[in-house]
Amino acid sequence: MIEAKQLIEINNRKRSELTPENEKYYSDFLIYIRLQLYISEQQSEEILMEILDHLIEGQNEGKNASSIFGDNPKEFADEIIQQIPKEQKKNIIGFISSIAFNLLGLLLIIRGMIFFIVSFFKEVDSLVYLLPSVVMFFVIVCFSLIAVWGIFTIIKGSVFKEKQRNLKDTFLCGTLAAVCTGIIIGLSYLMPNFGPSFPFTWYASVISGAIVWGVSKFLKR
Amino acid sequence: MSLRSQLLKGILDGCVLSVIEKEPIYGYELSKKLQEAGLQDVSEGTIYPVLLRLQKNGLIRGEMQPSVSGPNRKYYFLTETGREALAAIAQEWEQVVLPVSVLLKRGNRND
Repeated sequence: MIEAKQLIEINNRKRSELTPENEKYYSDFLIYIRLQLYISEQQSEEILMEILDHLIEGQNEGKNASSIFGDNPKEFADEIIQQIPKEQKKNIIGFISSIAFNLLGLLLIIRGMIFFIVSFFKEVDSLVYLLPSVVMFFVIVCFSLIAVWGIFTIIKGSVFKEKQRNLKDTFLCGTLAAVCTGIIIGLSYLMPNFGPSFPFTWYASVISGAIVWGVSKFLKR
Repeated sequence: MSLRSQLLKGILDGCVLSVIEKEPIYGYELSKKLQEAGLQDVSEGTIYPVLLRLQKNGLIRGEMQPSVSGPNRKYYFLTETGREALAAIAQEWEQVVLPVSVLLKRGNRND
């Protein structure tokens, strides 16, 4: 079996053989399928490759994408998506936890570096309250996922459109990201300090961040 | 939807299975074979949702293999379950098509 990752690389190479018109049709189709987060990545990439091979062969015989796959690419894609098996639970959990670990690692590294720089200018209070920090991290992960999901939904709605709604979509995505960031920052101000606390120096922060980041890379494989 | 395409939709699974039964085949070839057999109404793309569904239900299985013309292609093979399903479809089709053709022919004669 060829892995999804390899299929994506081969797909990128082969796509350049398409005429501009077929490329547009196929790229919309490809983006729409890849934005479906719940379906099996392996199966999606396999069918995307089959469709691409079919299109290239048809193109060599003088056909174009809409004569092969119909004038309604969205309907065609929806029919295909309906038949692709769901992604396995363990893959979804692996994916989300790799993002969460990645985020945690980066947050710890950035915190450590900020504390290090600030410590040159003034006294830094490196005390960490465990429970509020856990709650805040959970909030950050949740809102990051919501933002990603929202942005995917906006893009999904914009493919297959004759006229690209770039400006409006960019604005929507930006607003969504800003609102999510705003909620996170707001909550972090309002969060009271309670429960057990411990000192967490800048180098401890950077080292643990690097370890967690490494774990996220390992989970991703 | 025209009557013909509605009828085709119902029996397309059977057609696809019987083409795969003859020899393992990949998507493009399969759509060619169906059109050569006279099913001009089957637009080339429609076979892909069908292939995915048959695969999901275990009637066929797909395998990436190098093709004669070079690149790797996903070839479809009939499974044992697929063979049984095809036999059942063929039998049911006969039970429908024979009486229906007799009936429809009679109707024509009376015109």
